[in-house]
Amino acid sequence: MENIIRTIGYALLFIINALLFYFLHSHFTFIVMVLMIVAPIISIVLALVVRRFVTVNISNTDKSYHFGRQHEEAFFEIKVNNPTPFVCLEAKLKVKIKNTFFKTEGERIIDMPLHAFKGYTLELPIIPTLPGIVSIEVASLTIKDLMGFKYFKKNIEVSNELVVMPCLVNENLSKLPEFEQGMLESEESSKKGNDFSDVHDIREYIPGDKLMSIHWKLSAKRDILMVKDRVSMSDRQMVILPELCGENNYLLEGVLAATYAIITSLIKDKTTVRLMYWSSKRYEYENIKLDYKEELDEAFAKMFYEDTYVGYDEASINMASVNPELKAYAHVYGDGGRVVVTIRENV
Amino acid sequence: MAKNNQVIEDTYLCSGVKLGKDFFEKKENRILTLFLKGIIVYLISMGSIGFYMSALDIRYNEFLCHILIFVTAILSAFLYYRLLVENLGYLLLFAVFGMLVFNFRPYINSGFYAIVNITTDAAAQYFNIDIQKLYTEQIEDRYVTITFVCLFIGIVLDVLLNVFISRRMQYFNSLFTVMGLNLIPLYLILEPDMMYVIMLLGGICMAYVLKSSRHYSPQMNVKRNDNIYSEKGKKKQTNKQLSYVYNVKALGQACATTMIVVITVVVIVSAFKPKERFNVGYEGNKYKDLTIAGMTTLLIDGIQGFFNQEEHIGGMQHGQLGNVSSVKLDHETDLKMQITPYSFDTIYLKSFTGVEYVPYANEWVDVRHLYDEGMWQQTPEANELMNGYVEGDPWGAKGTLMLDIIDSSCADTYTTYYSFWDDNWTETNGYFPIEYYPRFSGSDTVMISSDYYEGTPYTQEDLYVPEENKEAVRYVIDQIEWTGNEENYVKLLKEYFQDNIPYTIRPGRTPRKKDFVNYFLLDNKKGYCSHFATAAVLIFREMGIPARYVEGYAVSYNQFENGELVEDTKYSDYYDGYSELGETALIEVNITDADAHAWCEIFITGEGWIPVDVTPAGEEEEVSDFWEMFEETIGSNNEDDGDALDIGIINFKIPNKLIKIVCYVALSIVALIIIFICGRYGVRGVIYLTKYKKATINDKLVMKYAAYCKRLKKKNKDFREYINYREQIEYIASRTDSSFSDKEKVIAILEKAGFSNTAINEQEQQCVLDWISNHSRLLKEAN
Repeated sequence: MENIIRTIGYALLFIINALLFYFLHSHFTFIVMVLMIVAPIISIVLALVVRRFVTVNISNTDKSYHFGRQHEEAFFEIKVNNPTPFVCLEAKLKVKIKNTFFKTEGERIIDMPLHAFKGYTLELPIIPTLPGIVSIEVASLTIKDLMGFKYFKKNIEVSNELVVMPCLVNENLSKLPEFEQGMLESEESSKKGNDFSDVHDIREYIPGDKLMSIHWKLSAKRDILMVKDRVSMSDRQMVILPELCGENNYLLEGVLAATYAIITSLIKDKTTVRLMYWSSKRYEYENIKLDYKEELDEAFAKMFYEDTYVGYDEASINMASVNPELKAYAHVYGDGGRVVVTIRENV
Repeated sequence: MAKNNQVIEDTYLCSGVKLGKDFFEKKENRILTLFLKGIIVYLISMGSIGFYMSALDIRYNEFLCHILIFVTAILSAFLYYRLLVENLGYLLLFAVFGMLVFNFRPYINSGFYAIVNITTDAAAQYFNIDIQKLYTEQIEDRYVTITFVCLFIGIVLDVLLNVFISRRMQYFNSLFTVMGLNLIPLYLILEPDMMYVIMLLGGICMAYVLKSSRHYSPQMNVKRNDNIYSEKGKKKQTNKQLSYVYNVKALGQACATTMIVVITVVVIVSAFKPKERFNVGYEGNKYKDLTIAGMTTLLIDGIQGFFNQEEHIGGMQHGQLGNVSSVKLDHETDLKMQITPYSFDTIYLKSFTGVEYVPYANEWVDVRHLYDEGMWQQTPEANELMNGYVEGDPWGAKGTLMLDIIDSSCADTYTTYYSFWDDNWTETNGYFPIEYYPRFSGSDTVMISSDYYEGTPYTQEDLYVPEENKEAVRYVIDQIEWTGNEENYVKLLKEYFQDNIPYTIRPGRTPRKKDFVNYFLLDNKKGYCSHFATAAVLIFREMGIPARYVEGYAVSYNQFENGELVEDTKYSDYYDGYSELGETALIEVNITDADAHAWCEIFITGEGWIPVDVTPAGEEEEVSDFWEMFEETIGSNNEDDGDALDIGIINFKIPNKLIKIVCYVALSIVALIIIFICGRYGVRGVIYLTKYKKATINDKLVMKYAAYCKRLKKKNKDFREYINYREQIEYIASRTDSSFSDKEKVIAILEKAGFSNTAINEQEQQCVLDWISNHSRLLKEAN
């Protein structure tokens, strides 16, 4: 509508000038008339040239750390490159912003100038309030000619994403008395160095194996270092099973935060943890062993590519039948508007 | 928290992702933006001043003007840096400006007068008139005074344009402000220097480009902030546009690009079509020519000259002169005359005879006081002609013309050449008869001797020239080489008028305290019949020829040709004797105010008083407004064409007035219908577009589909029976014999868009639109 009004206004000005030219027959009005014919053509041609050569890139400016953190600022850099010597005063980017895990989506038009020979770099600071994968996608770029008569659209499909980890909030733990009660025993045992595990296999020593695992008697007999490959009791006990139920984003966020906080806390205390979750895409359980913080982040990043499901205890239903060797696990789920962590026997 | 404890609300890009607040806190360099705007103001301001000055070739200190106007423009622009700076700055600027104007007012006044005088000179040269009304310049050094005026105008323009440009980039207001006066040199075919054309056009084009971009203002509201980004959209809109407010680098580059384009175009156009040769071979414009009379009136008389002081009939006012600025004709019938045409000469009907001209009162005093002396009716001439007719002179003739006075504002009595005055004018069948004895040019049988006069044939009043008019009258007399007799004098004077003083119906009113004749002969040098007749009377008198001023109507032979035949009348009842045209018939002629005329009578010994018309032929079209032009175009209002349109053999007559009314009504109806249809479609279109803009994606699809169905229903009667999406889509698919594979999908999308609360996505919308587009084409091919 705006460019229609502008075109009508321009046409009226042209008619007025044409009448003046007819009436006065002056050189000046002739120049104005030629200029009024030529200028829109030049304006449109310049815009077309810019559209032809313009390119868009999106990058995540925070190179030092691969993942973002919930409630912490991160940056996306949208770089529109204009190699032509022509400026554009209004280029509109259609930007889609999504959290693919939580299935939230928004769209914004961002306008910017495009400088001659350079283009424009837009730094977009974002603060994710939900964990998951924040994706930014530029769907199209619309360029307005200098005189504002026409918009020229260029379809561009460029995107970038940022994995956002849940925030570490201590309050989450204090809300989980059952978790604390259920874990105290194993935690304490692990800290004391007691070994509740059964020997699963005996094999040769591989550099990096714990000294505690060396089977000294057998090593002496065979004259080679042998280690006991154990199925750790703590491994069996430290299985965390979060429910990725997407019915309530608030609860899902709580489940993720609680899971993340528990695992972080355990890793900090050098306890090996197994993260299990139900993959509705592959219809099986994912089982990831976590010893380090980086592994936790990688595991969460992988988990964020999963789809959420409807049932609030869908993951725990099949646990006993699919993983019968597991004796117990910590079940993190949302129930009645709050996040619950329960130690469940796998029966 | 921002200043003033305002809470800045979070901006969510989507649920779970909000925009960092530092996005809106990035700042742009406002000073450079203001500087850029100052340059635009300077270009327009100095460009317009230089435009006028260079066109009229006025010399002044250009360098000083460029410097000071540039500085003022930049300072004015910087007033918008802060609200406080603006308020205080304007006060200070006005105070300084007022003080300077007060101190240098003699220079500024003189400069203004100098520019006005130079412009007037240029106009006088263009119109080929002599204007003596020039302003007195107190200070004679024009170079200095004009420089002062340019600075004064430049500063005023800087401040004014700064309001237009800095706030809203109002290029049209700026253009309107600066081009008003600059049209004067263009009207006078005086072209400005290329540099100033580039400056003016460059400035305006820059403002246009920045206005089009809408990213020019560091302050959107009264609050001045220099943030780069802001949110743009409706108040409750959730996904507002993230818009940059302004960017100095981009604005600068855009302005540079614009300037390059303007320079290129101006230089190329000037190279191919230089201004010096632009008007070579140009023959002028008739519409411009129409304004020339008005412009000269304006130059000579000012605005006053355009207004008539009194009502008139074709410019005639019973001897009252000078109050008619332009003759406005109503083309209504004033008189109806029935006459048997006898000569190719013009028939005069006189109603007023002026003998004494009163200078400065600008009037002719009539000759009522001569009634008793019987000297003004040309009774002796009529007697002589009557005797000739009675005695069987071969040139002798007697006629009777019938006169019906239609317009009440006309005179009560009329006479013609030559008739006896009848005080008891009696009406016969609605007409007043006038008996006359015509005199034929070339006839030597009618010689008037002084014996026919009871007293002297003329009085001293017929030779009186007021002292006040002597100079003007002598001025003309001295320019003519008078040879021959009185008849030749008439010819020479007529030639002089024809060559030197153009006829116009828009001479302008005679200014107050000016004499009508002096003004006409010395200053204005244009006029209509009253001017020529009055001047001629005084010139003849000065030459020793008795002369009088006469007003009335002049009916040409052409009008008789187009007149209406009066049925059931006998030629012999109205005319007897010699006729140049042989036996004719009684013809009725409508006489309008276009036939109103002024002429003079001169006394020639041996011939008596004879009518003399010295008014030159006018080339000017009597078009005063659009409707007159229209009337001329359709030719329905030409009174010369008779009063009626004769259709076919049944002699059915439609009065011209009726044709005119019918034409007006028909045209009005057609215009109304066109306006109604265009307006209806226009309003519908606007409403549709407004709704469409506000609609959700679902509604947009439904609206587009409904519009398509509406078009289809108009073309296809069968389609009207199908009322739901499924039926309609199935019908279209069946008619086009196309694949049915996507039919169900289209129906599903349409039903989802029309009936559910779930929003469709763009792919779905596009899918339906593509389907409609394809099937619309297929349907067209099938039909």
